[in-house]
Amino acid sequence: MDLGLNGRTALVVGPDDDIAAACRSVLAAEGARIATSLDDGAIDIVVAHATQRHGSAVMAIESAAEWHAAWDEVVAALDVFGRALPGMRQRGWGRFVWVGTAGSRSLDAEAPGQLDEVGAVTSLAMRAAQKVIASEGGPEGVVANSVLRGGAATADDVASAVAYFCSQWCGYITGASVDVTGGVGSGMF
Amino acid sequence: MDLELQGKVAIVSGGSKGIGRAIATMLAGEGARVMIAARSQGPLDEAVEALREVAPGRVAAIAADMTDPAGVADVVAATRATFGPVSIAVSNVIGHVIDSKKEGDGPGAGNFASMPSPEYRREFQHLFVSAWALAHEVIPDMQAQGWGRICNIGSGVAREPATELPHVLPNVVRPAVAGMYRIMAARLAGDGITVNNILTGSILTERNLSYWAWLAAQTGSTFEEVTASFHNRIPVRRQGDPKEMAALVTFLCSQQARHITGQSIPVEGGSSRHL
Repeated sequence: MDLGLNGRTALVVGPDDDIAAACRSVLAAEGARIATSLDDGAIDIVVAHATQRHGSAVMAIESAAEWHAAWDEVVAALDVFGRALPGMRQRGWGRFVWVGTAGSRSLDAEAPGQLDEVGAVTSLAMRAAQKVIASEGGPEGVVANSVLRGGAATADDVASAVAYFCSQWCGYITGASVDVTGGVGSGMF
Repeated sequence: MDLELQGKVAIVSGGSKGIGRAIATMLAGEGARVMIAARSQGPLDEAVEALREVAPGRVAAIAADMTDPAGVADVVAATRATFGPVSIAVSNVIGHVIDSKKEGDGPGAGNFASMPSPEYRREFQHLFVSAWALAHEVIPDMQAQGWGRICNIGSGVAREPATELPHVLPNVVRPAVAGMYRIMAARLAGDGITVNNILTGSILTERNLSYWAWLAAQTGSTFEEVTASFHNRIPVRRQGDPKEMAALVTFLCSQQARHITGQSIPVEGGSSRHL
């Protein structure tokens, strides 16, 4: 399948981990140019993701500062999305993907003790933001979706879904969240 | 129905006006001892005077900024000193108003395209940190008693972002609060503590009245035109009464509601559209 990414420029932001590497690799393999910053040409695609904190626990948080540290990633992602949006609207095409945790849909999205509870909280915020961006950007061809990793998903499993949501075929799916969990997780919605 | 709330110690933030005051009144009416907290002393004094008529000797008030964990700690300490260990905590804090001249005290006006990213942090402090800090501060009392009720006055946008309104800040932050509460509920279920979140719809409060007046002035419409057009979008064709919010919260705080936890429950006249 030709994802139509030839000639598109993609920026992957967030921690430099296996998810970021896999996303850059699959997007590049599909023909996209990987930008190094927001200023590196006209940005068509932005993929943002959070630090993976397996086993992070809401009840273990003892200060507002710890919550703000987690929230940093939301503010940073929304900052980049907000800066990329005007150019996308002007050109009539854009893709935003948030890679979060399926823990934001199901408490059993990961093996017992492995749930990223703090990531579930921030992913809920980002999923809502994607819904808002989908609503505001829709008329100008900008779509915004979330990929929720869980279970034993590999970075490549996640990156494949991300690439699809960045593709020319994903113009009518927007404001959506899809699980990449291998079927783990009981939550329906 | 006897809700078995006699003597329970409750804290209600935002308790001097609107929904918070209605909750404090109903909890006190059921026999609870209630500390109300709010920022301004004037409205607090007025509220506590009215509440004492309903529940003499069972109501107290303290001025505090509940978006600041230090303020929350002061309120909880004052409650313990006045009434004893806390059994019920209702978090009721509004989002921050960026510019009341532009927003008429409405909720965090602005859409995504125009919102400077630092505003997401301020809203997080108001809506999320306030709810977390109150819960965090009272949980030890509740664990010691093996009984507790934690409720947050959230918003319907937690489940269904209001994309037709410029509400990007609550749209983004409210779901995070719902998720944090959902997880807390799971972790505290074995301690006899329930944690629930109310998905508030359009409720006719003083703040809401001032918002309609502001909107009417902005759009050159009459007050009646603005509210009528709004009511037509609500299946029950009216806004909610703060007492209808208070009733659900009071029930959730009851002994009978001990098996209801981790829920986000709407009070919105049928306005939401999700299944």
